[in-house]
Amino acid sequence: MTEKGAALNDHDFMKALFDLVIPPSASGDLPGAGALGLEPAVATALQADPLLGPLVEAGAQAVREAALSQHPKGLPGMASEARTKVVEGQLATHPLLIMGMSRYLYAAYYQHPRILECIGEPPRPPFPEGFDVEAIDAELLEKLLARRVSGVRKE
Amino acid sequence: MANEPVGVLVIGAGASGAAFAWSIADTGMSVLCLDQGPWMKQEDYPSNGLDWEARGMGDFSPSPNVRGLPADYPVNEQHSDISPLMFNAVGGSTILWAAHFPRLTPRDFRTKSEDGVGEDWPIDYQTLEPYFAQNDRMMGVSGLAGDPAYPYHEPTLPPLPFGKTGNTLAAGFEKLGWHWWPSDSAILSREYEGRAACINLGPCLSGCAQGAKASTDITYWPAAQRKGVQLRTGCRVREITMGADGMADGVLYYDAEGQLQEQKAEIVVLACNGIGTPRLLLNSKGRQHPDGLANSSGLVGKNLMFHPYAMITGIFEESLQGRRGPMGCSFWSHEFYRTDRSRGFVRGYSFEAIRGFGPVQTALWGMIRGFIPWGEDHHRQFARLYDHTATLLAITEDLPEETNTVTLDPELTDAHGIPAPKVTYRVSENSRKMLAHAVERGREALTAAGAVETVAEPLFREAGWHLMGTARMGRDPGTSVVNERGQAHDVKNLFIVDGSVFVTAGGVNPTSTIQAFALYAADSIKKNIETLFDHA
Repeated sequence: MTEKGAALNDHDFMKALFDLVIPPSASGDLPGAGALGLEPAVATALQADPLLGPLVEAGAQAVREAALSQHPKGLPGMASEARTKVVEGQLATHPLLIMGMSRYLYAAYYQHPRILECIGEPPRPPFPEGFDVEAIDAELLEKLLARRVSGVRKE
Repeated sequence: MANEPVGVLVIGAGASGAAFAWSIADTGMSVLCLDQGPWMKQEDYPSNGLDWEARGMGDFSPSPNVRGLPADYPVNEQHSDISPLMFNAVGGSTILWAAHFPRLTPRDFRTKSEDGVGEDWPIDYQTLEPYFAQNDRMMGVSGLAGDPAYPYHEPTLPPLPFGKTGNTLAAGFEKLGWHWWPSDSAILSREYEGRAACINLGPCLSGCAQGAKASTDITYWPAAQRKGVQLRTGCRVREITMGADGMADGVLYYDAEGQLQEQKAEIVVLACNGIGTPRLLLNSKGRQHPDGLANSSGLVGKNLMFHPYAMITGIFEESLQGRRGPMGCSFWSHEFYRTDRSRGFVRGYSFEAIRGFGPVQTALWGMIRGFIPWGEDHHRQFARLYDHTATLLAITEDLPEETNTVTLDPELTDAHGIPAPKVTYRVSENSRKMLAHAVERGREALTAAGAVETVAEPLFREAGWHLMGTARMGRDPGTSVVNERGQAHDVKNLFIVDGSVFVTAGGVNPTSTIQAFALYAADSIKKNIETLFDHA
């Protein structure tokens, strides 16, 4: 029996799990989710979620223990294929493990400046710079104007 | 220390309460507004940070049950097909709305006469027309005059830019020969009245850090306060109190420190939305009104209407730069708005073209829909979706049904021990047929626009923004709660000015009409002040 929260607070384990969910891209442009130091933020968010938190924590715990039973270093010590098998082996009893964790992992990953740059977004908040956006297509606008109803301002 | 009595006490500082308070201040009466929420600060809005999408699902979620902030009260939605959404602050739900700003159409006010369903309103479009215009000027509305779907009116400012997403989708509608028109949007395309123009931040639904989107904390409230209206925040009203003469004489409320306070008033006005208003009326029980205040018709809390939404998303090969620009505002379509019985349902729906998802939402949406797996193929599938989607929302007209209700939950309470509202709501067969029709037409439009694949959510559960009908207006006290100017039939100095008074819902966003009605009700009081209590 492992102490409560052990899996979520085991950063090496979580990094390995994150890299399984979002691995580095084949081209190497995008880092895996385990390379960005997201573990504390995701663990904190999960621990504050009364619905998903316990489900993910139980699943992560089961994966951690299963991995440790197969390899002395647990999940971080295993090759990618073996890691996948261990996780998949727990999904029948912990079906919300990946989906629940991804609720917070995806949020953390896809708001990281490095990832934003890689996917073609400026690594900054929307405000204060904002964005330029195309105007209404002139040809479309012309068609609209041709069929608008006319009138006088009543108010 | 007792609070000084006031002339007019408005409960709720959102869309309708702000408009009403601003207008009624012209009477010279003392006007006080109580709101359970705080003032918001633009520097606190999520778009100031990289975590804007995550916060939109957390402390800026539209669901009070997800946020659970001190200003929020819980809503029991276990028996509802649609989750009620709202925001509790000065500005109310206009803090988090899309600011898509259509008016109800003239025909929407007479569904019984037109189609034999619902009920006719005791007022019509023409009655509200000057108030629509007044409201447009106060909020600041961008759009294009001349939409054939509406009586002629001129938006305050030119339309917002469509972006590549809007242009792509509009081309699809054009190809099919379907009606489409740039939306009236309560977002500034140009600087207006000291407010800055929109800079296309994107996440309008979690507050506008630029202040270009109209929320009543930055539109009506500064003007109302200049007229002398007082606004007290952090104050949650528990019940309306009654005098021996059968008139409301004030309220009991919990102040920001949690202390029970009494506030006396000559006129009490409810602007707490279609859930908060019936909740307060039902909680204001007394010996003379054991079923709640203003409820001799038994209709308080009944006829709850949302707008059931379908969401149809197209996946495109080209990049659409979709998450930039006002999220909910580019164009609308009324192609399927009017009744055509050959379709198998009565009434109709509008389409609202919205922009693309941000990266986090893309990833989560793709995961939930089964498009984006975990593991090796994650990046390839994400790249296929991100910046390559555009969405149509179908907003269907919900017809009133007495079985759709807001009642008081027997167990659940808010932080002050006040019973929470319980929402019981089922989407009708007519609405389901309409949603199914909208999904097919939405797919058709997206395909015409170039989508290579379409995905539909035929009933979008997290879309209960529009809260209407739970204290409906009418001339007959036996079949309505308030009269045509929002005055309770049972309590002559009690007025309701929010979406609760809607008789039917139309198939468009209601805020423009809610606010126009609030201005009309205030004006009606001003014009009839001397005889106000003679003919309820």
